[in-house]
Amino acid sequence: MVTLQLVGSLRKELADSLSTCRVLVVGAGGIGCELLKNVVLTGFKNIEVIDLDIIDVSNLNRQFLFQKKHVGKSKAQVAKESVLQFCPTANITAYHDSIMNPDYNVEFFRNFMLVMNALDNRVARNHVNRMCLAADIPLIESGTAGYLGQVTVIKKGLTECYECQPKPTQKTFPGCTIRNTPSEPIHCIVWAKYLFNQLFGEEDADQEVSPDTSCVLWDGDIKRVSTKDWARSTGYDPVKLFNKLFKDDIQYLLTMDKLWKKRKAPLPLDWLEFVILSGCVIACPQGVTGTGLKDQQVLGVGGYCQLFSRSVETLHSVLADKGDGAELVWDKDDPPAMDFVTAAANLRMYIFSMNMKSRFDIKSMAGNIIPAIATTNAVIAGLIVLEALKILSGDVEQCRTIFLNKQPNPRKKLLVPCALDPPSANCYVCASKPEVTVKLNVHKTLVLALQDKILKEKFGMVAPDVQIEDGKGTILISSEEGETEANNCKFLSDFAIRNGSRLQVDDFLQDYTLLVNVIHCENLEKDVEFEVVGDAPDKAPTPTRSQEEGKNIANGNKESSEPSTSSEGVQVNLTLMTFSLWL
Amino acid sequence: MIEKEDSIISEEEAAQYDRQIRLWGLDAQKRLRGSRVLLVGLRGLGAEVAKNLILAGVKGLTMLDHELVTEESCRAQFLIPVNNQGQNRAQASLERAQYLNPMVEVKADTDRVETKPDEFFLQFEAVCLTGCSRDLMVRVDQLCFQHNIKLFCGDVFGYHGYMFSDLGQEHNYVEEKPKVVKPKTEESNDGPEAKKTKIDPNETTMIKKTACFCSLKLALEVDWTNEKAKSSLKHTPHFSTTQSIVFSPFVPLFVPTVLLKFRTDKGRDPHPESFEADAMLLRQIRDDVLEAMGLSSDLLPHDFVSYCFSEMAPVCAVVGGVLGQEVVKALSQRDAPHKNFFFFDGMKGSGVVDYFGPK
Repeated sequence: MVTLQLVGSLRKELADSLSTCRVLVVGAGGIGCELLKNVVLTGFKNIEVIDLDIIDVSNLNRQFLFQKKHVGKSKAQVAKESVLQFCPTANITAYHDSIMNPDYNVEFFRNFMLVMNALDNRVARNHVNRMCLAADIPLIESGTAGYLGQVTVIKKGLTECYECQPKPTQKTFPGCTIRNTPSEPIHCIVWAKYLFNQLFGEEDADQEVSPDTSCVLWDGDIKRVSTKDWARSTGYDPVKLFNKLFKDDIQYLLTMDKLWKKRKAPLPLDWLEFVILSGCVIACPQGVTGTGLKDQQVLGVGGYCQLFSRSVETLHSVLADKGDGAELVWDKDDPPAMDFVTAAANLRMYIFSMNMKSRFDIKSMAGNIIPAIATTNAVIAGLIVLEALKILSGDVEQCRTIFLNKQPNPRKKLLVPCALDPPSANCYVCASKPEVTVKLNVHKTLVLALQDKILKEKFGMVAPDVQIEDGKGTILISSEEGETEANNCKFLSDFAIRNGSRLQVDDFLQDYTLLVNVIHCENLEKDVEFEVVGDAPDKAPTPTRSQEEGKNIANGNKESSEPSTSSEGVQVNLTLMTFSLWL
Repeated sequence: MIEKEDSIISEEEAAQYDRQIRLWGLDAQKRLRGSRVLLVGLRGLGAEVAKNLILAGVKGLTMLDHELVTEESCRAQFLIPVNNQGQNRAQASLERAQYLNPMVEVKADTDRVETKPDEFFLQFEAVCLTGCSRDLMVRVDQLCFQHNIKLFCGDVFGYHGYMFSDLGQEHNYVEEKPKVVKPKTEESNDGPEAKKTKIDPNETTMIKKTACFCSLKLALEVDWTNEKAKSSLKHTPHFSTTQSIVFSPFVPLFVPTVLLKFRTDKGRDPHPESFEADAMLLRQIRDDVLEAMGLSSDLLPHDFVSYCFSEMAPVCAVVGGVLGQEVVKALSQRDAPHKNFFFFDGMKGSGVVDYFGPK
């Protein structure tokens, strides 16, 4: 029998390579803390960890490297210090930074034997995916939500990359659903967040709250004042605001009678009626017990009228204090901001005959909160390291995608390993000459929209450079600041871009070149600015029950890569309790 | 019976436990908060379970271990700071364990579990045994079964791990299910369905259920030679050769059985320092067990013994995660418990739940 040398559970050769190689952990949150612990205990010696976020009290139920006294500090930094307590010989470098910072270029990634993601948003995942492809370094991807989790391995040329399969985008709602005919609480919550921005934050043309007359053929008065201007003109008087939003605007909607032929009509509210005439300061709460969380109570309408009024006053004074031209950013953890959305959403729900919801529930929906526990992250982080060991042993073909279920499947599996898929030939990221076709209206699409909505948001680029294949190599967009700013408010057609034009798009940081074919189209759907040909039309994914075939991949409760402590986008988190999912 | 102690949950708890209350509800959190747990063994797996339960917010956790910290422990476990060699393991883990969550009463007990009188166990709602001999586990399980205390066992052997639970004759729990929306009827007398108040698609309802468990003694008294069991085709394949996949329900029990026998024989687990001798004994035991199970030895990787040494940190994390969550489920009486074993093979990444015991 050949003598075997073991170091702990590992064969000596493997143990040796662990202690010399360098690994990168992207993220020091739920999965990240568990992962760092496992990585260090397993015997890795040279570890770099990066996270842009700071510690929040709601992290403490699972991000066990942090304590209450660390709230407000850098996650990466505190994680490193905590780990050194039980393993002082580990060589850990911590970066309180965004992985999308151009400092972390392909050369940076090439320093590592492997990269392990512990992220919570799609934008960063896309970016790291491309960097690892560019550097040709294996990437271990993972995600968790509640009791569910998933791990997979990405290796250029061998497996699918993160972007090989189109991921369902976060659900958005048509303007007229939000503005005219909400039928679910979430519509009212989205409306309330839009309202916040219209009154106190950055006004956005896509976030109108007043009745929308364009979706119904309507000859009525369509000249309306901007919400913010109107509010300013009344000095943000809460009662006037209330009556406009919850009485006048609703009465206006009622005159659009086509909308209410098959739908239950909304009931306008009157401030006088509910606050003064009802007599009580906070009307009887529905279903309250003394044993619940304060936030889980559902107040009566009168209560939300009061809450609306109070929060408007508070927010207005905060805004005024900030001076001219100031804007507030919505944050679920800012009490008056959360109060405002709770009140406004509930009042709207009441008007549209929906059962009102507690602040607790509204916070979940408005803030895209994904419930999280330590054990799920612990399991997933364990699986990540086991995959890492396979890679380091040279056994990449043993690597698997592994799903963690809540209950065992009919074959008794709680943890389900599945073979990795080969790269998709048409992947517009990892194919050898990525190419894609986009339908848009060249006369109505601004260069800025191309850059921000299409190249950055849709195609995940960070700093795109765009050249028109017009024989002259005209530069449309330059990633160098200021160089092509003048082009931003021009239309594509101004540069002779038309049906059949081709654009060469480069992102030098991601070492990524994409050829974009333009198809001119004049009749795209309402509210749709562009369409990627070959993409599944955007719709909410139906929950899949089989993870073996399930490649249903959702991508995070945030569309941006902003830290969790900052405000999140308005898009709604999908109800993600499917078996296979990415977050 | 776990009472919901004081009904009030403090602001501090609400803030800290927010993300888990949103998952398992306030009721479950209160039950956790009323529960005391005994954890035996503070090696790699024990530390993981301790962390998970402390973070979950139990009332109290008593960590019991008579062993001393060795040089190897430093590598194996994240609760023990370095330079604590010679100290008792539970004691050495106490400070960092407490830091995980100051709202939990964490205690260290340095006694041998064998010396504890029966009354000692009765103060706990749940007992979790790691690193214990088979006989001890059976004995403690009998005691817990009699007193309605939830019992859990678990071990990690290299790349392999298992956990067992005995939640008693009748374990009551609830499951949250989406409210069934009645199918829309044709136009009723009241007018079109759409005009009625919308039912929130996210509404759920709690369904009460019961699960029955058997003792560890009965679970391990499997009849290996039962023809029916051997040829059962309903179970998942665990080992495969290039030609065929073998179905046997007992395969996942194989590694724990061999390693627990080793532990009984040698009074310790296989140690890399005595690899040669330990590997030989493991192979001997392996042959005996395979024969008793009616399995042929060519089904196993021939060097499988080398994957059973020490406790692999990531395997402790996986088994500790599943085990920790089972304890949480049992104490909070929410969600279906795994019945009654969970086996994890770190080489394959497969984790299965299976039942051994009388039907």
